[in-house]
Amino acid sequence: MLILAPRHVPLPYGLPPLFPSSLTRCMLRAMDAPRGSEEGRRLAAALAAVAGGDRDAMALLYRRTSAKLYGICLRLLGSEAEAEEVLQETYVTVWRKAAAFDAARASPVTWLAVLARNKAIDRLRARRAPAEDLDAALDVADEGPLAPELIEKAQDRHRLFGCLAELEEKSAAAIRAAFLDGLSYPDLATREGVPLPTMKSWIRRGLIRLRGCLER
Amino acid sequence: MSTRPPLSPEDRDVLAAELALGLLDGDDHAEAAALAGRDPEFRAAVAGWTARLAPMLDEVHETAPPDRVWSRIEARIAPPPSNVVQLRRRVNLWRGYSLAATAIAASLALVLVTRPSPPPPPAAPQTLVAMMQSEGGPARLVATYDPQTRRLIVQAAAGMAPAPGHAHELWLIPAAGGKPHPMGIVSATAPNKMDVPMPMASDVREGAAFAVSVEPPSGSPTGLPTGPVIAQGKLTRA
Repeated sequence: MLILAPRHVPLPYGLPPLFPSSLTRCMLRAMDAPRGSEEGRRLAAALAAVAGGDRDAMALLYRRTSAKLYGICLRLLGSEAEAEEVLQETYVTVWRKAAAFDAARASPVTWLAVLARNKAIDRLRARRAPAEDLDAALDVADEGPLAPELIEKAQDRHRLFGCLAELEEKSAAAIRAAFLDGLSYPDLATREGVPLPTMKSWIRRGLIRLRGCLER
Repeated sequence: MSTRPPLSPEDRDVLAAELALGLLDGDDHAEAAALAGRDPEFRAAVAGWTARLAPMLDEVHETAPPDRVWSRIEARIAPPPSNVVQLRRRVNLWRGYSLAATAIAASLALVLVTRPSPPPPPAAPQTLVAMMQSEGGPARLVATYDPQTRRLIVQAAAGMAPAPGHAHELWLIPAAGGKPHPMGIVSATAPNKMDVPMPMASDVREGAAFAVSVEPPSGSPTGLPTGPVIAQGKLTRA
């Protein structure tokens, strides 16, 4: 007796991520994206559904990506307990912020991997900071200056590895250790047994050359 | 705060890379992060470096996390079911109050009737309740209406927030059928209190229904529901 619009009338605006029917639309939209593998498209569709509160899509996303993200957390933090916590935080953030993912600009795996890495780096920094600085460190982390606004075309891994290979070995090794192991300038200087300014100049020189190579 | 001279474009880019790599500590990190917070260009440079370096993450060995991590995540993203239960309880409470009020009114009437002279008081119009739900689902919104004050209160259950870029609009469907009347956008968080204007108030009665549809942020552009109806329920006496 209710005379209302039928349940699945097409909506004249935006994306309505509330209903299962919208999942199909998300998938279609993700498939329109010019880049990315089949798996990438599947994950992009899952992320779009997660943005609409779809828990099944969230479970799928976790099954497909958690081993990679846990590996990253574990490598950076070196502690299973902390890696588990950061992994949990990462996925809770994904649940809340999935709408920020833009399939046209980033690959889902990279977006997730960078999110996990940034959270792990924040945790490392909080661990290093004296207690009174902890709040400040966490505040800064919350502002999200490292938000992964990733631009797909910059992600040519062959080019990156080629350019890293062109650097002096000590510069390349330090850049890799910073990115993958979360080592800061003082950590790196101690590890290599060189003064801090020396380490800074190795890395800065390496970064300038790296940029020049990547822009060629 | 910083008394340093402004950085050259090249130094700024190196600073962006240092922030992306996580090389900075203490004050250096705080300053660079603050710069990223206020300067979109610098933030883009940091994002650019992160993107350039991200392929390195492919090298990291995958490790399956223990099952308990997913259990914890699942628990944190679960909808709080207690809220619907609370709403039900609240409705039962309202029903209880209303029954008690009716009983008191009846006993008063009895007292009055046994007395000789004063005329019987008019029967107080009863509070109406509509439990709006999706087909077979739990109550998602509850509307209570007091015909005396013409005050309508609509409360949404937890997890009823509209998707970004959308709003939920309330509609009154008259008991006699016909077009739904728009009643305004309903907030998912605060209780929505509205005074029903006089001509429409007569339609808010037993047998009429309320429904909620998904609409653009400023409400339906046509005056009729344009998006899917996510919950509906008939008005009954509390």
